Amino acid sequence: MAKVKIATAWLDCCSGCHMSFLDLDEALIGLADAIEITTSPITDFKEFSPVDLGIIEGAISNTHDEEVAKDLRANCKILMVWGDCACFGGIVAMRNLFTKEEVLRRYYIETESTIEGKIPSSEDLPQLFEQVKPVNQVVKVDCYVPGCPPSAKAIHYAVAELLEGRIPVLPSEIMRFD
Amino acid sequence: MKEITLTINDKQVKGKEGDTILEICQANGIDVPTLCHLDGLSDVGACRMCVVEIEGERKPVPSCTYPARDGLVVKTNTEQLEKYRRQILELLFTERNHFCMFCEQSGDCELQKLAYRYQMDNVRYPYTFPSLPVDSLSDYLVIEHNRCVLCGRCIRVCSEIAATYTLDFGGRGWGTTVVADLEQPVSESTCTSCGACVQACPTGAIFSKLSLYRGIPSDCQQITTVCPVCGVGCELNVLVKDNNIVSIEAPELTGLKGPLCKQGRFELLRETRPRITSPLVRGKKGELEEGTWDKAAEVIAESVRGLKDSFAGIVSPRMPNETLSLFHKFIREVVGSDLIDTMDGENYRVTSEGIRQFQDNGKGLDIECLIEEIIEADCILVAGADPEKTNPIIGNLVRRAVSQRGAKLIVIHPSRNVFPLWTDLWLKPREGSEGDLLNGLAKNLIDTGLAVPQKAGTKLIESLSQCDTGEVGRATGIDEESLKLAAKMYGQAERGVIIYGEGLMQSNNPSLITSLLNLADLAGNQAGDRLRVISLKTSANSRGGWELGLAARGITRNGLKGLYLLLSDDQADEELLDWLRGIDFLVVQASYQSPATSIADVVLPSPIWAEREGKYVNMDGSALQLKQVLQPPEGILQDQEILIQLSKKLGHELSPS
Repeated sequence: MAKVKIATAWLDCCSGCHMSFLDLDEALIGLADAIEITTSPITDFKEFSPVDLGIIEGAISNTHDEEVAKDLRANCKILMVWGDCACFGGIVAMRNLFTKEEVLRRYYIETESTIEGKIPSSEDLPQLFEQVKPVNQVVKVDCYVPGCPPSAKAIHYAVAELLEGRIPVLPSEIMRFD
Repeated sequence: MKEITLTINDKQVKGKEGDTILEICQANGIDVPTLCHLDGLSDVGACRMCVVEIEGERKPVPSCTYPARDGLVVKTNTEQLEKYRRQILELLFTERNHFCMFCEQSGDCELQKLAYRYQMDNVRYPYTFPSLPVDSLSDYLVIEHNRCVLCGRCIRVCSEIAATYTLDFGGRGWGTTVVADLEQPVSESTCTSCGACVQACPTGAIFSKLSLYRGIPSDCQQITTVCPVCGVGCELNVLVKDNNIVSIEAPELTGLKGPLCKQGRFELLRETRPRITSPLVRGKKGELEEGTWDKAAEVIAESVRGLKDSFAGIVSPRMPNETLSLFHKFIREVVGSDLIDTMDGENYRVTSEGIRQFQDNGKGLDIECLIEEIIEADCILVAGADPEKTNPIIGNLVRRAVSQRGAKLIVIHPSRNVFPLWTDLWLKPREGSEGDLLNGLAKNLIDTGLAVPQKAGTKLIESLSQCDTGEVGRATGIDEESLKLAAKMYGQAERGVIIYGEGLMQSNNPSLITSLLNLADLAGNQAGDRLRVISLKTSANSRGGWELGLAARGITRNGLKGLYLLLSDDQADEELLDWLRGIDFLVVQASYQSPATSIADVVLPSPIWAEREGKYVNMDGSALQLKQVLQPPEGILQDQEILIQLSKKLGHELSPS
């Protein structure tokens, strides 16, 4: 049987969800027979090609995040999101309590360790959105694995369900927001 | 109440007329999710989690506020209802800023549990990200509006149970928030910091600073013990993890002693005094030096031997009965002295003598009524007492009676209105004229025909003959009208309760207590064979100590050469300290460093309240079990063990029984 092709991306996040995926430990060996990871921060390939399953960690925070999310969505049959940031906005969405200007000023100018700071303004750089959004406000999402980060157990459950041909919804006992 | 039958989820169930649908579901084991409901509080239907379908109703209704009727057909678990509930949860999450990953309540949050139950793995609505303040100025609790679901449980517990009426909703619609008074920081409001709202809050919106990130209940062992502070004797649920107290909660938040108070819920966890962990002996240079138990016992034995009647023992009324008895035995049998007292023994001697002069039938403190009479009272007279300070739950019961049941409140205090927001009449007798006032009130009852005729014996009438209103006015400085009004309010009450405290007890004048009892008796304020009178006991085992006879005689200070103060985690007041300074040889058994230990010749470490067990007798005379919740630090012996070891040094076998 052909391996299921998977591409992953991390957007506005801490990469903790990908670490949790690696926490599958020996279960990864079993998975390796069934899946092939193509474009991913783990393989360090950057360009998406068509895959069966797309996985996104992190929220949509800037123009780059949106572009990557749309690109992956266009290249995958099923899109799964990992972690509170991708599912709900999560910890990165705390900046929504402030305006974009306040956030940039605080980060690039007012931080205690900064001397003569400057807010970067190159056209080559992604533009920060006024508000951080969960992934489903930008592209259609098929399944969600919340958690900060989701446990390896939750990720394993979701991937195993998908390999069995079912769209996973985490059972209450496994679901965590922290 | 008429029995009714209704059909819930195709099953016939029974309930009583007046029950809500939710009550009937809960009584019949039918699970209905709730969030704004809390057993014992009124229901308001704020959250809509408990919606049910009722045949004939156009739309789902909240079961917590819907009165059940005979023959209703109810569904609690249809697919449509489950969809609504998940939708409500999603809306709740978008309304405020909920970030479980660093919330101290995560793992013990009703909102989070519901979201798991409804498998809420995404939210279909845009978040609102409101900008909300955090009130963290209080020493005890934080109000984190970002996590508030506006269920109103804090507000209802604050009014219905804590009876402080501090919290309420402020603003309208989207702008609604929980506010203290007129939007003050809670630390500057009328809040008494009882912490009932902390326990009632289903999320992390109101939390205790003293329990922050210490652990969640599922990781803790829960031990029910008794509060070691005042004589009310509230039960405490102590949550313990790794030999640390995580939090203290009320076993029954909406019960009689439900709210607990600042002392019991918070202050016990705010201890900052340095702990004493090994015996200290005053050395040759006059400094306290660390020594072994053996050395300390040796020094004590040497100094105590032969002192007999010039050696005294004083013990904290926070000690359980077992320790009190053994200490008594130690002083009597091992030292050979009769000089023993509790730190609040003086209160007892005044009270008991006052009772004896009123009625010498040996009933003693059992002449007083139980504290539950306060909440049933229609008039409360608080004389020379400040319950809000000394026994906060008594203050709470007074406020509940006054604010919820229309009881009248009269305060007798020379300088302070101790219930400024609730008092109907404040009588300010000149210092020392309380007796004239009480007798004046009694005389007034007789003169106005409000006294029970058979109680007004000729002897009493004779003794009150000189208490005419003019005389009383001159002595007390209280005008005739106020006196008459007070007499009328108290005399006309069906269930008038008198609460008195140290203001009267420390007058060294038992006749004040007698006058007060006469007044209650004249007005016919009896509950069974007790009088509706309560004396405030300020320590957890005041009554235990008194009943065991430790406070019977008191101590004469003349010729005293040595003294043993079993202080433990209690505090010695200035008066006692002054006295202790004149003692040649002072032993202090204490948990913490304090002025008392600094003047001692030998200091023995003592366990704190959480490290010991034993029996307490509360104000009502009920025996309560203090349970050990923590292991004491290494090297600290139980108080009784210390006494047994000391006795051995002095050649005595002291047995606890």
